[in-house]
Amino acid sequence: MSAETAASRNAGAPRQGKGWALLGSELSVLFRRLRTWAMLTALAAVPILIAVAVKLSSRPTTPGRGPLFLDRITQNGLFVAVTALVVCVPLFLPLTVGVVAGDTIAGEANLGTLRYLLLAPAGRIRLLLVKYAGAVAFCCAATATVTASGALAGVVLFPVGPVTLLSGDTISVGESAWRSLLIAAYITVSLLGLSAIGLLISTFTDVPVGAMAATIVFSVVSQVLDNLPQLEWLHPWLFSHHWLGFADLLRQPVSWTSFGDNAILQAGYIAVCGALAYAKFSNKDVLS
Amino acid sequence: MWWSVALARTKQRWLPALVIPFALAMAVLFGSVQAGATVSLPPRTADEILAMIARTEVRALSGTVQQTAELGLPEVPTAGPGIAPGAASALELLTGSHTARVYVDGPLKARLQIMDRMAERDVVLNGGDAWFYNSADNSATHLTAPAPSVADVRESLPAKPGPDAPSDMPVREIPTPESMASHFLAAIDDSTEVSVGESSSVAGRSAYRLSLHPRSTETLVDSIAIDVDSETGVPLGVEVRAKGQAEPAYSLAFTELDLSTPDAALFEFTPPPGATVTETAVPAKPVPTMPAPEDAPTLRHPVITGAGWDSVIALPAGSAPAELTSNPQLSQALQPVAGGRAVTTSLMSVLILDDGRVYAGMVPLERLQSAAAQ
Amino acid sequence: MKEPVRSDPAIETHGLVKRFGHRSAVDGIDLAVPRGTVFGFLGPNGSGKTTTIRVLLGLASANSGDISVLGKAMPQALASVLPDVGALVEGPGFYPFLSGTGNLMRLDAADRHAPSSTRRHRVDDALERVGLSHAAGKKVRAYSLGMKQRLGLANALLRPRELLVLDEPTNGLDPQGTREVRSLVRSLAAGGTTVFVSSHLLAEVEQMCTHVGVMSAGRLVAQGPLDELRAAGQAHVLVHTPDVERAAHVLSRLGLVPGDAPGTGSPWGTTAVLGTGLDGLEPEAIVAALVADGVRVRGFTVENASLEERFVSLTGEGFDVVG
Repeated sequence: MSAETAASRNAGAPRQGKGWALLGSELSVLFRRLRTWAMLTALAAVPILIAVAVKLSSRPTTPGRGPLFLDRITQNGLFVAVTALVVCVPLFLPLTVGVVAGDTIAGEANLGTLRYLLLAPAGRIRLLLVKYAGAVAFCCAATATVTASGALAGVVLFPVGPVTLLSGDTISVGESAWRSLLIAAYITVSLLGLSAIGLLISTFTDVPVGAMAATIVFSVVSQVLDNLPQLEWLHPWLFSHHWLGFADLLRQPVSWTSFGDNAILQAGYIAVCGALAYAKFSNKDVLS
Repeated sequence: MWWSVALARTKQRWLPALVIPFALAMAVLFGSVQAGATVSLPPRTADEILAMIARTEVRALSGTVQQTAELGLPEVPTAGPGIAPGAASALELLTGSHTARVYVDGPLKARLQIMDRMAERDVVLNGGDAWFYNSADNSATHLTAPAPSVADVRESLPAKPGPDAPSDMPVREIPTPESMASHFLAAIDDSTEVSVGESSSVAGRSAYRLSLHPRSTETLVDSIAIDVDSETGVPLGVEVRAKGQAEPAYSLAFTELDLSTPDAALFEFTPPPGATVTETAVPAKPVPTMPAPEDAPTLRHPVITGAGWDSVIALPAGSAPAELTSNPQLSQALQPVAGGRAVTTSLMSVLILDDGRVYAGMVPLERLQSAAAQ
Repeated sequence: MKEPVRSDPAIETHGLVKRFGHRSAVDGIDLAVPRGTVFGFLGPNGSGKTTTIRVLLGLASANSGDISVLGKAMPQALASVLPDVGALVEGPGFYPFLSGTGNLMRLDAADRHAPSSTRRHRVDDALERVGLSHAAGKKVRAYSLGMKQRLGLANALLRPRELLVLDEPTNGLDPQGTREVRSLVRSLAAGGTTVFVSSHLLAEVEQMCTHVGVMSAGRLVAQGPLDELRAAGQAHVLVHTPDVERAAHVLSRLGLVPGDAPGTGSPWGTTAVLGTGLDGLEPEAIVAALVADGVRVRGFTVENASLEERFVSLTGEGFDVVG
């Protein structure tokens, strides 16, 4: 049996598939994991908690206290999503992204599936790219979850109307939905550098928990350094430097400077970490 | 070393890992060299450049300005929730770095957006209407005043927020490099030596550099540089250097500039629903804006002694606003001296005596004290 | 249609060295696995079998030496060779949260040349062949070690292969499973697939393989057809008798070296005597001599050299011997 079919295939039978199957499989494995859904559920809970807490609170929120726009939620439910994103950006989103990005290679190595993927053969570079694409997909899903859950909670619990921007101008509900999407896109881009760092760390170990923890620690350290005025020279190089810069999308007119700076910075991190991860992984002895 | 072994064994695979960071480093380095590169322009004399500024026909622009102050004042937390408007806010603007967007259309329409982290302070001027909006506490202040004539503008210089300072906001008071430069250029006299420095590139435009050097040795000011757009004559940047300080003490420059007319809707301001609106006729409450560093506190009946760079402004007793001493953020900046308290920065000194007299000038503190003693 | 017989070996290495730090796990081996054979890669635990397999399949890089698999230089031709190689390396590795089918679908998708149209069909076939169809939908988390091992074999069989590399394939399997693997290997070999089986179990190799290579402490100490290795050893006789001492006396008089027989007991509750050094003696002459001396011969066997002795002499170590 095998010899015949093997011979006929070797003789030039059409080889099917462009290799997208691995990406599809990666996404389906990622989103069929209970862990992924648990994290997305936790993220979805943040805006709901905020909305419910504000709804139940009898005291009106003092302007200027608490996260951005917290005081406006009661007047306009559309602010729930933005407030939730502000709350999630420093810790919750990096936490979940760190788990997914740190797990990319180390998780497969830990399960022993890494060697079978390589023997399939998935190809090391292709596997690395697909794994990163999976992490990027999770970044999109995570920010989209917070945005969608926030918008939903806001619409259900509070009145909805024109939205006031930081500049004091008001925009229509439709325009505000567009800006919310822009903010979600901005935050997704913000998380790409961290994902690349997670991927890189992940190639160095067979212990996924270690890679996840290291990635999360990186995100915390970067934010702490960003708050030390003594290290001002370092700030523009920290991957978390522009994380809260999405406020620029809430100005009138939209200030694209932060978006551009952030994208360039994240691209730099992707290039450097990607190159290092490629070098490490293509030389790695898979012994797990 | 493990890595050198790995390098020797699998040289070509580690190569991209080294090449990409190296290429990025080169790109960054090259980019920063490029940005600071001198530009070759046909030579002009200082007078020709001054004439260019005077002749400029630019009446509308939109741009982003960057202000950096290294005055040696204590760092105040960046604006955002919790920062009260008023003098503390003004002080905050004198420390660190701020970015603002400026839109100007003619002499009567202007908008300034101070872009704070997660917040924004807006000044919208449209004819006789002036709106101040602070997103941090969602408050708006509306001033109505007759449109100021150019003469009024000149006279009211330097208009400075204070408890009871005139706060009509003429368009020229929007702190652009242009308005800042006009302050200094207006003050050019015999005490100032004007020369032409190396031309450079500001906001992507080639610019002549005009250097102002005080002849006086008494002043704290070392030099002032004004970058002037080679094409239109619009000042693009102002840089003030203090004696004995390597970094510029103060700089205000465009990082982006577009000379087309801004969207008219930008100058139409309606306070957002839910905002706290204060309607005020002139004179009005102080409003945070970007004050010029050489501006002295409240001018009531100032007496100016001396001339040019080393002049001292004296205010009679009772001029010092109470806020100066009650505000913890301000009192932090004040140092006790014999007979009162003082603020010393790398560019200017202010002496507040216990009897309420105030002395200020771009001179060392000792000079103020000797002036007060007279 | 039979594939034309190719003379180049399925696996060939020259001076293959793999070091971890200063320790050589594989120390200059020259392996030659002829096509169409079932090659037993035998050696005690820790002798470098799995490391060799990892290097052969490109999971780890060699420090020095040449490798060719299916006639192509490795690891340069990894991408074109691996689709024709099915492998089970150091036990199964699967996603516990996916079903058996889900796992195989995932691993098959990783091969960009595996046609997606027939994926489901091939997965079901492979599961059928290893007897896992009934558990195909169960999460691997709920699988026993034996079931995981079978799933690993199914993964190796997802596509028609020219070469199968099976590292300890019967690990964790019950005797029934072991027999099934044995017959599976035989049927694959009959179809022309070269099978490279590593094992620390002598009996397993003896029953399955046509060729054998013996690893000891990172070195390949012997390799060749099983029969050749067997012939190189000494034949011996096994006498079942209650008169042990007398039999031993007779055997030594004949020039044989008497010794204790391996294993215990004989069918008649008597002790066995092992005589080695059967050098040109006719077996019937030995029986005659024993009987003439009054030894009650209740059983007499002439055995070719036990591979075990041969391997013990080669490796200087004991094997786990399983009957």
